[in-house]
Amino acid sequence: MIIKQLIEQIEGEAFVSFDMKDDRVEFSTISFAHFRGMEMILEGKNVLDALVITPRVCGICGHAHLMATVRAIEDAYKNAGFKINLTDKIQKIRELTLIMEMIQNHFKWLYMVIIPELSKIVDLSLVKEPLKGAFSASIASKIIAIFGGQWPHSSYMVPAGITCDPTDIDIVQAQNYLDELISFFEKESLGVSLEKFLSFKSCKDFNDISSDISNLEKALISIDMHHKGFSHDRFLIMGEHSFTNVSKLKHTRTFKVNSKYIKTEEAYSPNEKTYALNALYNDEYYETGSLARMMSNSIPIIKNMHRRYKDSAYSRVMARIFELGYMLNHAKKLINGIDIYEKSITKVENIEKVSAKGIGIVEAPRGSLIHKIELEMGIIKSYKIITPTQFNIGSSTPDKPTPVQLAMKGLTKEEALFVFRTFDVCSVCTTH
Amino acid sequence: MLLSQDKKPTLIWLQGVTCNGNTHSFLNLSYLELLLSKFELIYLPFMEVKYSFFDISKCSLSCDVLIFEGTFDPLMQRNGVLLKDILIHYANDAKHIIAVGSCASFGGMFKASAPDRNSGLLYDGDDFIGVLTKLYKKVINLSGCPIHPEWLGYTLSMIANNKNIKLDDLYRPVELYSNLSHHGCTRNEYFEWKVDAKNFGEKEGCLFYEQGCRAPMTHASCNKILWNEVSSKTRIGTPCFGCTEPDFPRENFFKTKTNMSIPQDIPLGVPKRSYLTMAGIAKTFHIKRLEGKLIDYKTTD
Amino acid sequence: MARITKAERKKSIISASLKLFSERGFYITTIPDIAQKVGMSVGNFYNYFNSKDVLAKELVMYISQYLGDNIRDINERDISTDEKIYEIVSMYFNIADEKPEMIEYFLRVYLSNREVFSDGCEGMLCVSPFVTEMMMFFNDGVESGDLYDQDFFSAFGLFMGYLGGMVFLFGEKILPEPLENYKESISQNIYNALKSR
Repeated sequence: MIIKQLIEQIEGEAFVSFDMKDDRVEFSTISFAHFRGMEMILEGKNVLDALVITPRVCGICGHAHLMATVRAIEDAYKNAGFKINLTDKIQKIRELTLIMEMIQNHFKWLYMVIIPELSKIVDLSLVKEPLKGAFSASIASKIIAIFGGQWPHSSYMVPAGITCDPTDIDIVQAQNYLDELISFFEKESLGVSLEKFLSFKSCKDFNDISSDISNLEKALISIDMHHKGFSHDRFLIMGEHSFTNVSKLKHTRTFKVNSKYIKTEEAYSPNEKTYALNALYNDEYYETGSLARMMSNSIPIIKNMHRRYKDSAYSRVMARIFELGYMLNHAKKLINGIDIYEKSITKVENIEKVSAKGIGIVEAPRGSLIHKIELEMGIIKSYKIITPTQFNIGSSTPDKPTPVQLAMKGLTKEEALFVFRTFDVCSVCTTH
Repeated sequence: MLLSQDKKPTLIWLQGVTCNGNTHSFLNLSYLELLLSKFELIYLPFMEVKYSFFDISKCSLSCDVLIFEGTFDPLMQRNGVLLKDILIHYANDAKHIIAVGSCASFGGMFKASAPDRNSGLLYDGDDFIGVLTKLYKKVINLSGCPIHPEWLGYTLSMIANNKNIKLDDLYRPVELYSNLSHHGCTRNEYFEWKVDAKNFGEKEGCLFYEQGCRAPMTHASCNKILWNEVSSKTRIGTPCFGCTEPDFPRENFFKTKTNMSIPQDIPLGVPKRSYLTMAGIAKTFHIKRLEGKLIDYKTTD
Repeated sequence: MARITKAERKKSIISASLKLFSERGFYITTIPDIAQKVGMSVGNFYNYFNSKDVLAKELVMYISQYLGDNIRDINERDISTDEKIYEIVSMYFNIADEKPEMIEYFLRVYLSNREVFSDGCEGMLCVSPFVTEMMMFFNDGVESGDLYDQDFFSAFGLFMGYLGGMVFLFGEKILPEPLENYKESISQNIYNALKSR
């Protein structure tokens, strides 16, 4: 029996068609109905305009799109034979604002999506406070705005630099907001200090505390989410950053990667029209995002969790929450390391001299985000965007399921809908 | 029995072709919880409230305040129902219709997704030919890509307090769109004395001459009510892209369109001849203080 | 006999001094020379201009305003850019023919004695009306698609340098034909050099 389900609050919406057998999901397909034609809109324009247009692919992760664009343009410069030198300051500030967007995303996902959704299927009473997510996210956004002018839809990254020229007081303000945010995370979410949380070795360490996070952890266990929602146990991290390692993992084994193996193909969605394309690496489906990134970092609690619960829904949720703490800590290091005396922009040739291809890859909140461009005298000949949700939430055939299709298999419909959200889905990005 | 003043206005937030940017901008509002508490929330796309979109798409509910985000596409279906039918159903009963963002106001970024049919609620660019022109008396445009959270915060607060909102000729609140985004920019003195920014990445210099800044031609209070309560594009060295105006998005955002080095567009309402006279004279003077760095870190070591 | 107003008096000083400066040179011409030519006492002259330098600056502004008004009149006509070029060239040559002291003063005094104009008359300060109108002309020319978009001074120098050079040759009596005869070909040359490509 096919049951069609509308899913919302995934930055837009999607339909999942469940093929149910004995009240269990035998197979499922996913469709995204809304298409905006971003790539088409970009074609024929000066590529610098992409710095304004691509952040508007997505309201929640537009900053990652901005950084993917700027990286793609800089790569095209290099391929055209021009040097791009980024000062340490440029790299740190870009990285910092990218991370702050990831943090605002994770806070919203935690309080506005995962806790409310989980509370629908557990007996334990979870406190639903969605606006905590908005509040904490708004503090993270302030830090982006100090450097980027505003969030969402900042365009402050430009080829070979950033437009801002921060002074000491900007750095102090950013540090203060970050401290405020860390303090919120400790008091309102964790129930322990960030330092203690980051030193956790095992999930059992949650047992001694009582907080939003520990309640969430207990609730996941209570419905057996540590034994459900398994996917391929293959992970992909393509974005080069100070906070993760570019690699793919099969179980716990790490391999090198090359972006030339990333391909997209038509989605399989026999029941509904979909505009989404599936993304694959070397013709295989991989999971991308927080769990993948944390796996690549060899963090004790993540290794421990993975050893016991593999890539279960539990691991996926808890890795994302761990990443929240990990990134807050990393952001602190980045801010402290900014040398305001360095240049905000370095010399760069006029874009009209660039006729070349370029690729820009970043780690967006939901995983690896890829922008591929082809320029002719600075004008966009073609622009291709591949988003993390295309890796995680592809819709394929039963013999070759995507991460989400595999993760939902064998579950009840309610469980499957929850597992769907453990990937943190972005509809608007998927059908850009 | 409830006293009539205790009855909160009901609110629905509906979306067309959008990136959710206005939603996420709005979530930054510092008094979000307080504001939402003044309304009976029927449906919101960003958090669970009374009803789901499944319920909304049945078109059997109603609301006092309808917020619409995104470009209107007459062929778009949501949950198998034409968006047009959903929109018109709720718009007919609503007392106020708020178009949030430039997409909903004028077509905006996603007009280009289907240029021949997509538009804002009242306007297609600046043509008054949108889907809700018959209901224009109820519509408030909050243009901007995205909107500033305070702009929607102000508008909803005025509605909740039963106050009249005075609108400009594009149906935008005069309170929010009478200023130019130039007003309050920290680079104003550089504009006055015609000192160009030599490059991006500097806090000195004006972005109007080379870098494409549209702040003197753009109705917005971005430099009056700061973004995320801390800054603005122009303050941190990014040009204003004119995102609150009906012609957004334009092209070549990072380059000022000039005719023989003369800016094609000049500050609103200023005759070009007067502007050129003033600019030429101001440029004659070399103000040493404005030519150097604002903070000379080297000598303060 | 009607009383001569102060403004008229001032105007007569301007036209007399223009003639003297362009004929004899700025430094050689004295205030008594000018006063004599206008028919007033030296003391009275100072009621109008505090010094020779002040007069010199006023003259530049006077000429700039005069040229500016004329070009503005052309700019505001509903004619094509090549016709405007012809009109500007024609206007400029007519002045050089009929009131040669104006152009002479501009070329021989203003542009050659920069030290006189370095304080209070530098840059655009005294020539603003003229340069502004030339900016308007170029701006409109590019906006209408008739002219090629390039640096303002590259275009301005080509236009005004050319005209200045021709007037110089005319003043030196080197030109075999009257200026009038060059209007057509020079306008055409300027248009060809500046038109959109």
